[in-house]
Amino acid sequence: MRTFWLLYVAEFKLSFREMSSFIFGLFLPVGIMVIMGYLSTTNEELVTTFAAVATLGLVSTGVMSLPLSLSSYREKKVLKRYKVTPISPVQLLVAHVFYCFSLSILSMFTVFLVATFGFNMIFPGSIGLFLISYLIVMISIHSIGMLIASTSPREKTTAAMSSLLFFSMLILSGATIPFDLLPSVLQSIAQLLPLTHGIELLQGQALGSPFTSYSSLLLLLVITTVATTLSLRFFRWE
Amino acid sequence: MTYAIEAEGLVKYYGNNQVLHGLNMNVKAGEIFGLIGANGAGKSTTIDCLLGTKKLDQGTVKILRNSPNPKQKSHFEQIGVQFQESAFQNGLTVKEICEITHSLYKNPIDWRTKLADYQLEHHVRSSISTLSGGERQKLCILLATMGQPKLLVLDELTTGLDPIARRQIWNNLRRLNDEGVTILLTSHDMHEIETLCDRILLLKHGNVFMEGTVQEVLSKSGAKSMDDAYLQLTGEGIR
Repeated sequence: MRTFWLLYVAEFKLSFREMSSFIFGLFLPVGIMVIMGYLSTTNEELVTTFAAVATLGLVSTGVMSLPLSLSSYREKKVLKRYKVTPISPVQLLVAHVFYCFSLSILSMFTVFLVATFGFNMIFPGSIGLFLISYLIVMISIHSIGMLIASTSPREKTTAAMSSLLFFSMLILSGATIPFDLLPSVLQSIAQLLPLTHGIELLQGQALGSPFTSYSSLLLLLVITTVATTLSLRFFRWE
Repeated sequence: MTYAIEAEGLVKYYGNNQVLHGLNMNVKAGEIFGLIGANGAGKSTTIDCLLGTKKLDQGTVKILRNSPNPKQKSHFEQIGVQFQESAFQNGLTVKEICEITHSLYKNPIDWRTKLADYQLEHHVRSSISTLSGGERQKLCILLATMGQPKLLVLDELTTGLDPIARRQIWNNLRRLNDEGVTILLTSHDMHEIETLCDRILLLKHGNVFMEGTVQEVLSKSGAKSMDDAYLQLTGEGIR
C-alpha cells in the first residue's frame, strides 16, 4: 500500500513538473470558463457551458496523459523493471490512472467553483446524478486512452493519435465551441465522438431536465466495455 | 556445490530466428560470473529468459533453487536486476526513486547511508535526468541492491563510463561480492571482465563457445589479455 501511495504521489509530482497536463487539464478549462462566463447571458447558458467545460480535464488526462505516460513507461522499460521486483507493474498503471481521475475531478470541481462564485451560477440539476454521469464519462474517455496505449506501437504514434483525438474533441464536442454553433457537417462528424454524447448527458443532468439521453448513455457504456476489453487483450508490457 | 543459477538447454526463437541454441549455464553461489559475446550473441535474451521476462521455448531454469516466474513476485525479493537501460520515470529525483524502490522490499537497505558509499549523497534532491552517466549507473546498482538480494544481475554494467566511475563501481561490486552476493554481469569491456569475474562464459550465436575461469580462457587461447583472447577466440578480429 505504501508503494502504491508513493507511486501515486510521484505521478502527481511528475505531471506537475512537466506542466502540460496541468495547463490543458486545469488552467485551460478555468480560462475558458471565465471567458464563457462573461459571454453567458442566462443561468441556463452558464450551466450548459459549465457542464461542457467540466469535461476538459477528463479529456486531457484521458486521451493525452494516460496513453502518453503508459507508452513512455513501456518504451523506457519502466514497466519491465517493475516486473523483476516484488511488486507488479500493474500498480504503476493503476497509480497513474488514479492520478488521472484525481486531476479530472479536481478540474471539474475548480470549474464548478469558478462558475458558481465568479458568475453566480445556480445549479438546477441533481448534484448526485451529475457526479455519477461525470464518473461514467470520465471512465469511458479513459478507456479510450487505455486502448490507444495498448495498441500504439511507439510513443510517437501515441502522441499523434492522442493529439488528433484531443483536439477534435476539444473543438467539435462542444467543450469549447458550443455544439449548436457548428455547421451541420461538423455536427454530424461530432456525433461520432464519444465526448459529444458525454457532454449531452452531463448537460441534461446539470439542467435537471427529464432524462432522455438513453442512446448517449448506452454508447458510453458500450465504449467503456469494448475499449477496456480490447486494451486488456492487447496490452503489452514491452 | 550450491548454484545460484542453473540453466539447461535454453532455446529461444524470435519468430523464425533462433537466438538461443540449447544453452547450458551454471553460476555458483558467491561468484562473479561474466557473460560475454558480441552484440546480438544473445546475452540480453539469456538474461531475460533466466529472469522470466521472456518466455523460453525450451529448457529449464532454476534461480536460487526456484523456477522464476514473473507472477510469483516474492521470488524477486532475493534478486536484484539492472537492465541495459536505466528505466525510470523521467523527472523523478534520486530521493523519490529511492523511497519508491525502498518500499518494494521486505528487508531493504538504509539507502541514505548507501548513497554516501556511492558518493551520491549530495544528489539526494537532484532529478535523475541531471546525473552524469556514471552517477546514474551507480544509482542503478544501488537500486538493484535495495532489497539485499542474494543474486545481482547487471546487464552492460559500465558501458560508456569514465575510468574513475568504472573503478568506483568495480569496488562497490567487489564489496557486495565479499558480503556474499552472487553477481551475474554482461560486459563488452574485457579489462572489466578480467578484473572482476571469477568465471566467464563466452556466447557465440546463442551457444556456449567457451567457459571457465579467466586463467583457463587465457591459457586456452594463448593470449596475454582477455582483449586479445576475445578477438582470437571469436574469430571476429579486425581483418
